[in-house]
Amino acid sequence: MLDIHKLERRWFKYKVKSYAPYIIGLFVFFLVLIVITPKMKDSDKTEQIVSSENQKSSDAKMANKESSNILEPSMEFLQSFQTSTPLTVTPAAIIPKSVQSPRESIPVPKVLNVPDSSTLKIPASSPSLSSDKTISLNRNDSKLDIDSIERRFKETSNSNLGLFIARYHYDHGNYSDAYNFALKTNSINNKIDESWIIFSKSLVKLGRVEQAKKTLQLYISESNSDAARSLLESIEQGTFK
Amino acid sequence: MENSLFSKPRDLFLDVVNAKDYVQIDSVSHMYQSLKNSVQKPLKMILLFGKPGTGKSMLLHKLHHDLSKHQKVLMFDIPIVDEDDFLRVLAQRIFGHSPREVMTLTRFLEIAEAVSYPEVPIVLLDEAQLYSSSLMEKIRLISDARAIKFVITLHKTDKEDVIAKEHFQTRIWESIELQNATAEELKVYIQKKLLKANCFDVANMFNDKNMKLITALTKGNYRETNKLLFSLFTLYCWYEENHSALIKYNALKSKWIEMAAIHTGLIRA
Ligand SMILES: Nc1ncnc2c1ncn2[C@@H]1O[C@H](COP(=O)(O)OP(=O)(O)OP(=O)(O)O)[C@@H](O)[C@H]1O
Ligand SMILES: [Mg+2]
Repeated sequence: MLDIHKLERRWFKYKVKSYAPYIIGLFVFFLVLIVITPKMKDSDKTEQIVSSENQKSSDAKMANKESSNILEPSMEFLQSFQTSTPLTVTPAAIIPKSVQSPRESIPVPKVLNVPDSSTLKIPASSPSLSSDKTISLNRNDSKLDIDSIERRFKETSNSNLGLFIARYHYDHGNYSDAYNFALKTNSINNKIDESWIIFSKSLVKLGRVEQAKKTLQLYISESNSDAARSLLESIEQGTFK
Repeated sequence: MENSLFSKPRDLFLDVVNAKDYVQIDSVSHMYQSLKNSVQKPLKMILLFGKPGTGKSMLLHKLHHDLSKHQKVLMFDIPIVDEDDFLRVLAQRIFGHSPREVMTLTRFLEIAEAVSYPEVPIVLLDEAQLYSSSLMEKIRLISDARAIKFVITLHKTDKEDVIAKEHFQTRIWESIELQNATAEELKVYIQKKLLKANCFDVANMFNDKNMKLITALTKGNYRETNKLLFSLFTLYCWYEENHSALIKYNALKSKWIEMAAIHTGLIRA
């Protein structure tokens, strides 16, 4: 099952991360303002000396004013983290309209970190593909790239692939692998005759004859499968080895 | 939990391929139509290709479902990679002939010639990247002899896709590329799926903003969309049971969509 609380925490972190550039951007902008404002005043030195006290207070006011301009909207969305109400702000809308000038300089983060589906790739072992004149579909004729198929099975949970892999292992005498994949296939789709049969045959090959019989009996009672019945018979008569 | 408003929509988005669940999406229907036309043309073999999760297997299942009403069609979901087995199964299932002798290509073509169907029988091969090149060559010869018409799908990743494209743009192949859905198509896909199952209330919850987010996350890939929505509705089931006051019925929560995306790995967090 889903662990909702953990998921919510991960989501919160993700949100903070994706807004970090904005927050940093605003922070930098604010810093620059603080640095620049007194410098601009510096050029007017005489005035500043004369009414230094006045100026200071008005400086502070300026800064205050600007800071309220900038920070207010960002606080708003920070607040929305704390409440459990849904965040309806799209990232693009986060930057308030009042902060227009520095907008370009703020690094716009990639909000959605979408893994490319192509990264789930079958290892590139396909030299045969590019050079062959005939229609060659397979990278490796004698030995299928079973690892990549297994990876794909893991990714898609496609029972067809599972059966394919189980069958492959059975044919290659890897009975414990065949057993494993038939088991996985059965748990995805428990109505595939052949998968149950490979499962039981692997059991016999692994010396667990009784378990194989039991499995088959159970499956026959559920499915009425002829193939399963004839396998059970041949196991019982000892003709299947 | 099983009586939840969201458990049915959740199960709709299990990633299974079943011709009955096919939904009509404009671009796909168009492709499907041209696929059906190509099937009736002689000689050429047909290749369906495209990135994972773009609906190749789905289209093949749909084709199988529709054609089998009128015509001899055989579908191989799981490749039979052994050449002898492959020819045997074809001989038996298509031409009703179970030979005891070793099955050579010549023998197979003889068997095929002895049986005549009003239309060339069709064989659909999913996951054709698993066949060896020598078996593919035999398949081509069978097709050339007009004994059987083949439609195959190829599961390829990005880079291999390009190679495949070049490879199959020869005279003997007619190739159809499937692509990810656009935002509009993805909306149609989701809506139709929900409406088909009478989940009207839930269908109404998807607004444009939700769809934009979902499309951005899944890049319009049908399989990714299935996974995302499956876990989204799992979340909704949970909230409905534990904090039902949080659920709004006029729109999906972006936060929950993102949480589902984190869960399925679309967002790395
Ligand atoms: N037209 C459609 N109608 C309904 N569902 C669809 C349609 N197209 C795709 N899907 C859904 O998308 C999922 C993925 O599609 P499918 O399995 O056909 O992809 P694929 O191209 O065969 O992928 P792969 O290359 O991994 O085999 C399916 O489980 C199905 O639920
Ligand atoms: Mg497929």
